[in-house]
Amino acid sequence: MFDLDTYAYTNRWIKIHPLEKFVFALATMLVCLISPSVVVVWAVLLLMTVASTKGAGTPVWHFLRFMMIPFSFILTGVLTIAFSVSHDPGGFLFGFTFGSITVGASQANLMKAGFILFKSLGAVSCLYFLSLTTPVLEVISVLRKLKLPSLFLELMGLVYRFIFVLMDTTALIRMSQSSRLGYASAKNTFRSLSQLISSLFVRSFHRAGELAIALTARNYTGEIRTLEKEYPVSKRNYAVILGIELGLLLLNFT
Amino acid sequence: MAEFILEAEAVEYSYPDGTQALRKIDMAVTKGQKVAILGSNGAGKSTLFLHLNGILRPAGGKIRYKGRDVLYTAAGLRELRTKVGIVFQDPDSQLFSASVWQEISFGPLNLGLEKREVKERVLKAMAETEIEDLADKPTHMLSFGQKKRVAIADILAMTPKVIIFDEPTAWLDPRHAREFMQLLDRLAATGRTIIISTHDVDVAYAWADNILIMNHGQVVASGVPTEVFRHTDQIKAADLALPWLVEMHGELMRRGWLKPDAPLPRSKEDLFIQQHIVSGIR
Repeated sequence: MFDLDTYAYTNRWIKIHPLEKFVFALATMLVCLISPSVVVVWAVLLLMTVASTKGAGTPVWHFLRFMMIPFSFILTGVLTIAFSVSHDPGGFLFGFTFGSITVGASQANLMKAGFILFKSLGAVSCLYFLSLTTPVLEVISVLRKLKLPSLFLELMGLVYRFIFVLMDTTALIRMSQSSRLGYASAKNTFRSLSQLISSLFVRSFHRAGELAIALTARNYTGEIRTLEKEYPVSKRNYAVILGIELGLLLLNFT
Repeated sequence: MAEFILEAEAVEYSYPDGTQALRKIDMAVTKGQKVAILGSNGAGKSTLFLHLNGILRPAGGKIRYKGRDVLYTAAGLRELRTKVGIVFQDPDSQLFSASVWQEISFGPLNLGLEKREVKERVLKAMAETEIEDLADKPTHMLSFGQKKRVAIADILAMTPKVIIFDEPTAWLDPRHAREFMQLLDRLAATGRTIIISTHDVDVAYAWADNILIMNHGQVVASGVPTEVFRHTDQIKAADLALPWLVEMHGELMRRGWLKPDAPLPRSKEDLFIQQHIVSGIR
């Protein structure tokens, strides 16, 4: 997860307007989800893999490793589509019979499961593209342009910032516990972990208080407003995106 | 008579749990000076600072900015917080944004300035703290010293007249601490009034124009560095040590190695000035 964050700041496409990347990712995802043809879905997968690796510069095996994380979830999900339960063993390509019932996979169901598997992966790859090329705050600034409620966006920004502070605090507390054999046995581990969690709660409240004071000291009056970075808008990029999406849609008719 | 920019008069404050943090504090800060507030943990330094910026309201007594009582109305506090900025000790508690650029723009935007003006101020503050190259870096990828500089730029962008630093050198290694104090010197050289809190007596002694010593919520001694450390009893009572230069000077005097009229040295170099050393000693 933290690698993902690092790539978002260091990729080759960091200077491209976040809205363009956002539109590209979301439009491609939409095309992927509405397309009835498996060829389009494969094309989307390939397109996003190439864009993230060859384009933005994520190492290929890192990208594949990121893709493996949702893959296992999706796989368990589609297994329930591939297999069905029936009293009639006929119609299954293969199956297991327990007494009077048969659990098996028919060809139609397998095709359906495979299609959904690739479709999900395609959609996920679009989101990965966005996460790997666009820092969280830039995504938030796009959402602000799309007029999402500012309270929601402020919370997103603060949560994102303090994930890292919380992670640092956790690492420190864990280290100090380990140095006193806090994780030396199963019993110690449970006790240390419970204390770690409770002290994180306490510290978070403490931090929230300190943050409120620091913000007030800078004339905070209930709304966090900041200056967002400006990016050059490229008409060419929008034309390319439009061309790609139309091309993908046309693939449905081949 | 010098002009006082910030004053506290008989300020009293107790925390809700009953701890009396400030007991009738009197202090006056002269415009353009470098002031160090010395005191051990729990002496009330941070509580005093929160009063000087209007975060806390005194239970008794008064805070004055440029001779005028602070008004605890929205407009009055806005005015005070624009003029008096605080750089907090832990930058992780002050920096709320994951983007350095957005972080620094927060203060000036709260002043209701135009975007163009805010942008200029952010750039200027980054130049003054030498962090231009961090503009595109996320906050969580910065080192502690870098975060500390961003925390200063935060405040500089609001162009305050007085900047308060809570324990500026805490958790910094000697080199970064020295660079940090030099940065404070540069900020002071542009006419800003700088107030720091510290328990490092050597830093305070060498750097400040004026020193206040706090103990148990009171100012127990104040004055120029070469005077204030003559109150050895108060220094000891406040759980502070003497600056090594002062101690060295005293010891050399006692042994008769320094001429009786040798003034207190402000730096290592001052101590070794030949003309103050009794002849025959090498």
